[in-house]
Amino acid sequence: MYRLALKMLFADRGKYVMLLSGLVFATLLMTQQAGVFVGILEWTKGNLKNMRAPIWVVDPKVEQVNEVKALRDTDVTRVRSVPGVAWAVPMYWGILQARLIDGTFKPVQLVGLDNATMVGRPSRMVAGRIEDLRLPNAVVIDELAVERLSRGRPHPIGIGDIFEMNDKEARIVGVCRTEKSFFGYPYIFATYDQALQFAPKVRKMLSYILVAPKEGRTIEEVAAHIRSTTGLMAYSEEHFGISTVRWFFRNTGIPTSFGMTIALGFIVGVAVAGQTFYAFILENLRHFGALKAMGASDGLLTRLVLLQAFAVGAIGYGIGLGVTVLIGSLFLRKGMPPFSLPWFIPVATLGAILFICAIAAAFGIRKIRQLEPAIVFRG
Amino acid sequence: MAEALPSSPLAPAADIAVHVRGVDKTFGRGEAAVQALKGVHFDARQGELLMIVGPSGCGKTTLLSVIAGTLEFDTGEVDVFGSALHDLPPSEITAFRRRNIGFIFQSFNLVPTLNALENVSIPLLINGLGRKAAESRSCQMLEKVGLAGRERDTPLQLSGGQQQRVAIARALVHEPRLVICDEPTSALDRDNGRRVMELMREVARAPGRCVIVVTHDNRIFKFADRMTEMDDGRVARVHDTHETYDGSHH
Repeated sequence: MYRLALKMLFADRGKYVMLLSGLVFATLLMTQQAGVFVGILEWTKGNLKNMRAPIWVVDPKVEQVNEVKALRDTDVTRVRSVPGVAWAVPMYWGILQARLIDGTFKPVQLVGLDNATMVGRPSRMVAGRIEDLRLPNAVVIDELAVERLSRGRPHPIGIGDIFEMNDKEARIVGVCRTEKSFFGYPYIFATYDQALQFAPKVRKMLSYILVAPKEGRTIEEVAAHIRSTTGLMAYSEEHFGISTVRWFFRNTGIPTSFGMTIALGFIVGVAVAGQTFYAFILENLRHFGALKAMGASDGLLTRLVLLQAFAVGAIGYGIGLGVTVLIGSLFLRKGMPPFSLPWFIPVATLGAILFICAIAAAFGIRKIRQLEPAIVFRG
Repeated sequence: MAEALPSSPLAPAADIAVHVRGVDKTFGRGEAAVQALKGVHFDARQGELLMIVGPSGCGKTTLLSVIAGTLEFDTGEVDVFGSALHDLPPSEITAFRRRNIGFIFQSFNLVPTLNALENVSIPLLINGLGRKAAESRSCQMLEKVGLAGRERDTPLQLSGGQQQRVAIARALVHEPRLVICDEPTSALDRDNGRRVMELMREVARAPGRCVIVVTHDNRIFKFADRMTEMDDGRVARVHDTHETYDGSHH
C-alpha cells in the first residue's frame, strides 16, 4: 500500500514537480544562505586562524579580533611575569596602503611577528622561507597579495620583487597561503621591528600579545591570571573567536539580513509545499474517501500521507543540498563569496524541511480524518 | 407481488444478509435539517441481487451508505451478516467493511495514477496481503472480468466499460460477502451495462453472498431478484419481482 501511495504522488507529475521545486528551493535558500553567513562569520575570525596562539592579550576594551587598541611595549614584560606564562611575544597588526607599480594603491593587512620566535607566522609557505623575514625590508605575502599587487606588472609579483608601503620599500622573500579574512585584504607578514618601520608612527604600536601557558597549566587558568594580574584582557583562541562572532551579531545587520533570507526560504517552503500538498490531497479526496470506504483505517491513511510528504521532503532536501554543495564548491574555488557548511546547517535544514512536510501533511491528514467515507456515494 | 412491510422489529432470519430496523438519519441542524431516512425497515437476503429504486432524493444512497457502514445514523439498528453495526465502535466498523464489503461506485473511483492491477490490489493490500500475492489474485480477477492483458493500463487508457469492470474486479477481489453498487451502469452503454449486471447476478448467486444495487437505470431492473422502492425517506414497497414495479415515480 505504501508503494502505491508513493506512486499516487509521483505519477501526478504537475503537483510532484511543483512540490519538489518548492522544497528544493527552500532547502537551497536556507542552506546556501546559512552557509554564506557562517562563511562570513568564519572570515571575521581570519586573524585568529592565520596567526595561531593559545592566548591573545589585548586592551580590556577590545571585544573582537579585528579591532585594535594599542598596548604599551612594557605590557609584554608584565605579561611574561605572570605565573604560568611560558612565553609572551608582541604582534603588530594594522591596515596599510601598498603602492603598486602603476601608482595605484591597495589596502593590505600588515602583520608584525616577534623577531626571534616568529610566533603567529603563516602555517603554509608556498615559496621561500619564513626565516628570510629577518633580512632588511623583507616581507612574506599571501597568495591574495600576489593577485592584488601584480597589477601593472608583466608577470605575477613574487620573490625578489619590491613594492612600497607607506613610502618604504618592501622586498618579497616568500609567499604563503592564508585563510580569507572579513576585510578581504591580503596579508603581508614582516618581523615586528620591520612592521613598525612600515607602519605610520603613533604613540603605541603593540596590537596583541601572544601567550602560551606553561606545561601543566590550562589556557583558561593562565588567561584568568593575566586578567587579574595585569588588568589586560586575555582571551583563549576559542573564546576570542566566540567573542568576535558575538560582536558581529550585536553590532552589524549581517545576522538580521541573512536571518531574514533564511526565514524567507522557510516561508516559501511552507507556502509552496504546504499549498501544493494540500491541493494534492484535495484533488485526491475522493480516492482517499474510496480507500476509507474500502476499510482503510485513519491510522493507515495518516501513515500513507506522512510517507508521501516525507518522501517528497527527503527527495527535495537531497536535491537542494546537492545543488547547495555544487554552488558552495564553486564559491570556494573562486574564493568569493564566503561559504562554509558545518554539519549543523544541513541537520537544521533537514529539520526545517521535515517540519514543513509535517505541516503540509497535517492539513491533509486533518481533512482526510474528517472525511466521511460516504462521500464516495455522492455524485 | 408487493410485500407487506414489517411493523415491528424482528430478529433477522437465518438467510437474511442485511437487516435494517427503524433507521433515522437527519442531515444538518435547525431549519436547515433534512431528514433523509425516516424509520426505515429493510431486509436483503443471502443469494439475492436486490435493487433499491425510487426518485432522486428519496434516501436510496443514504440507506446504502448506512448499510455499508460508511455513514453514521441517528437511531435504529443495522445488522449485516449477523454483525450489529449499531453496536460496533467506528474502528470495528472500518475493519468489518475491510473484510466483508465490496464497493462499486457510480464514477468508478479508480485512482487515475495507478494501473488496473494496482487498483484491483488495493482491498487486498488494505487487508494486509503481501504485494505479490495481492497482484497474483488481482490478475486472476482481472482475467475473470475479461481484462486479461490490460493489467498495466491506467484508467485513462481504458473505456468506460473497461473501467467499470476494473472497479468490479476491485470490489470482488477480496471475496466480500456483501457487494454494494451505487448506480453501477449509469456511465455505461446498454451492452456494457448488461455484462456488468450479468456478472453481478453471478456474484449474488454464490453461497453466502448478497448484492445490493441502487439504480435509476430501468434497463437493468430485469436483473433484480427483488426491488425495494423508496419514497420520501421510507421504504414504500418491496417487489418480489421487477415486473410489479412500474417505475412511475422516476
